[in-house]
Amino acid sequence: MVKHSNLSPEQLEERRRRGRSNLTWILVVGTFLLVIAAPTMIVLFFGMLPTLVASIIDRSDQKSATFCVGAINFIGVFPYILDLWFDLNSIDAALNFVTDLFAMLVMYSAAAFGWLLFMTMPTVVASFVTVLQQRKVAQLRGEQKTLIEEWGAEVAALVEIERTEQREQHMEDGVSGMAYKNNG
Amino acid sequence: MANALDEAVETAEPKSDAPSSPVEEGAVVAPTPPSVANEAVAPNEAVTPKPAPNGAGKGFNSTGIPIPDRNTAPADAANHPAATLKNRYLIFPSMPLIDLDTPTASAYSVEDRREPGRHLFALICTPGLPTRTRTMVDLRSQTVNGLIPLVDFGPVYWSPLGQSCQVVIFERPLGGRFLDAFIDKPLKINEYDIGKRIFEPLSKALSALSSLDLPHRAIRIDNLFYMDKDRTELVLGECVTSPPGYDQPQIYEPLERAMAMAAGRGYGHVIDDIYALGVIGVFLLLGYNPAAKASNEELIAGKAEWGTYQCLCGNERIPLPLIEPLRGMLSDDAKERWDTAAIEQWLSGQKKTPIQRRGVSKPKTTYKFANHDHLTPRTIAYSFSKNIAEAAKAIKSGKLELWLRQSLSQPETADSIASTMAMTKVHEGSPDGADDILVTKICMRLDPQAPIRYKGFTFMPDGFGAAMAIEYLRKGNLQIPGEILARDLLGYWFACQSPVTPDLSAMDRSFLALRNFAKINEIGFGLERCLYELNRSLPCQSPLLQQSYVDHIEEMLPALDVASEHIDKRSRPVDKHVAAFIATHFKFDIQPHLKALSDPREETSLIGMLSLFALMQWRLSKTPLYGLSSWMGGLLQPAIGTYHSRATRRTIEQEIPALVRQGSLPELFDLIDNADRRGKDNSDFKNAQIEFARAESEIQSFIGADIDQEKIALQTGERFTAVVGVILGMISVTVIIFVKSM
Repeated sequence: MVKHSNLSPEQLEERRRRGRSNLTWILVVGTFLLVIAAPTMIVLFFGMLPTLVASIIDRSDQKSATFCVGAINFIGVFPYILDLWFDLNSIDAALNFVTDLFAMLVMYSAAAFGWLLFMTMPTVVASFVTVLQQRKVAQLRGEQKTLIEEWGAEVAALVEIERTEQREQHMEDGVSGMAYKNNG
Repeated sequence: MANALDEAVETAEPKSDAPSSPVEEGAVVAPTPPSVANEAVAPNEAVTPKPAPNGAGKGFNSTGIPIPDRNTAPADAANHPAATLKNRYLIFPSMPLIDLDTPTASAYSVEDRREPGRHLFALICTPGLPTRTRTMVDLRSQTVNGLIPLVDFGPVYWSPLGQSCQVVIFERPLGGRFLDAFIDKPLKINEYDIGKRIFEPLSKALSALSSLDLPHRAIRIDNLFYMDKDRTELVLGECVTSPPGYDQPQIYEPLERAMAMAAGRGYGHVIDDIYALGVIGVFLLLGYNPAAKASNEELIAGKAEWGTYQCLCGNERIPLPLIEPLRGMLSDDAKERWDTAAIEQWLSGQKKTPIQRRGVSKPKTTYKFANHDHLTPRTIAYSFSKNIAEAAKAIKSGKLELWLRQSLSQPETADSIASTMAMTKVHEGSPDGADDILVTKICMRLDPQAPIRYKGFTFMPDGFGAAMAIEYLRKGNLQIPGEILARDLLGYWFACQSPVTPDLSAMDRSFLALRNFAKINEIGFGLERCLYELNRSLPCQSPLLQQSYVDHIEEMLPALDVASEHIDKRSRPVDKHVAAFIATHFKFDIQPHLKALSDPREETSLIGMLSLFALMQWRLSKTPLYGLSSWMGGLLQPAIGTYHSRATRRTIEQEIPALVRQGSLPELFDLIDNADRRGKDNSDFKNAQIEFARAESEIQSFIGADIDQEKIALQTGERFTAVVGVILGMISVTVIIFVKSM
């Protein structure tokens, strides 16, 4: 779960406002699509329910789980939508699909596969990423060592200055924080 | 910036018992020719007759006429081979010419390689004693009738002293000294002969010198020679081997200059020579020194209270025709003293308006100080300068001011003394309020024409340079001259003068410039700079150049090159004296070099030193300087360290030996401080810093303190999985559409 504790009240308000705006757009577009393509929308709504759930559960900014589950879930839903489009595109036909246990099993199994993929693959990828980062850090350290051998320790002056400034800033923040705390 | 003068003052310890002049003390510290160490004492003590074991003074003891000893011992010919000047003149240390010695220079035989039969002799000058090089140049280039001809001069290595000395070569006077003509008869010339035999040739010589604006300042009875064997051609002896007036016994000097220490008597004028000529006239007419029994103080008091003529001739029988010329030549007022034209006029038989006899105005009561009843402010000032503590008490008691007002009727002088006392009181507790300063200033107010007298350092302003040089020679420091400049006593002396002539104004301005030099406590400035500015012919006194004689800037680098053979290579080839000498004599702008040289950072200072020497070699000397290059090369490690790149440093270190073998300082400087190389080094270093910071930033983005590496990796994995899912979905949709449409 993403924590919003580090966001300021203004940022939170902005986020809420944007969320309301998106919901409005979704409702408008959804209503429009429901009017012109009601059978497709019925199949999509019931078939993509796991994605909706994933979207609700997934509070991350990137919405990776939603995209992953949604994309795989859609693979399960899409053949039935195509059947609607190529055969009888009616609400009855759509209701037939959503009440067909096998069809729903296919759609939800696809979603489940999506979830499975999302549960397992990131860990494996993260291990690779960690190894790659460590190699990159070692390479950069090697470059720095070569620079120090050629130019002496003073080549790190900019970094030292930056660190000192950060320390000073930290101290100042600490002092003002203490003062704020004491005054508060 | 620290003030060198103030520092000098802060470190100064009042020395009430400081000797009045180096010559009086005879404490010449530099190695001197065998005869010089003793003879340097002679001039001011010379009123008292001294035994002359084997010299020109033989037989004249009873006359009381001051004649110095001469006892130069010959050097061993085997150990001391002949020295060569300008590859032409051979000077033999084993062949001294005692009869031709001067008080501060020893005479030796000379052989001219080009003209073997020529009769010459050389005078070896005392090392460290300022010589009159400019006068030497003038006298070498033109013959002055009536003056011993100067043939050549220059520095040579003088083996008996183990160091280089200034040598001056003269034509040898075949008739010997003037005094030698009187060995078997009384030293006396009658009133009929003295004009033709003494005054006529010598006044012509002075006239010729006057036209060259060269005062002789060494006219005394033992410095007269006959150039021919028949002893008909009388000439003045040399005057260039010591500062003006330095060798003169006090009696030959006009009152103001006699009160100064030997080194501080000043450059003077031809009228000072005429005064000395008058003294010689008195000696020869009487056949003795009428003031032989008087002490220095008595002589000065006598001259001050009665006038020189009255003091010397008051109780003597002077032939009537010579009274007026002697009175004219011995006048204590420089304005009414006879000049050479007046002497020639008298010699040609024309009469001159007699000088009005003006006695010293008698006070109503005498002023008692130091067991003496004084009649004049001049003697009071002289006495004050000898008893500082007592003088300060007497001044502060207010009796002097009262005496000046009531007994001497000089309210202006009394007022000036009152204002001086008030000013000193304002500065009480500071160096400006010290008794020494008070007494010095009061003495100037009492006797404005007299020399400046401070802590026994007594000098005329035009003799400050020579006095400073001798002070350094004696004590190895310039503390008292430094205090004089810091307290602006010279400015005070000029302020006391009335009327102010253009010459005095020019001198005042030049001392103001010197004071500014002295204030700067940086290498190339300070009191050392003042020393060389005032003594342009003084050789560099640096301990680095102890065995050399460097009095021209062109000789500096070759001398350092030679010095490099026997000096600790860890020391630097520049000290305060070398820098001050270069700053004084090198005509190109070296301010940036001196600034760098004075920098507290070693590497900047070294680069400043190298750049200075490189500029000098480029401008002055085309010859390679292997020793100096090697010396400099060994010192340059901190300067090489100013390059950031280790590779550049290694390259420079590898290239230095090759350039040292070329003996080229400009090349060495170009290697060490090449603008392109330094610019590239700096820009590359900045790039390297940026590169390092970028790498650090990247590293911190992976492993920074506030970064959860696992979380980021996991997020990356999630994003990757989402992308994979979307791509899989898109491919599947495409395949499904394709299958359905088949």
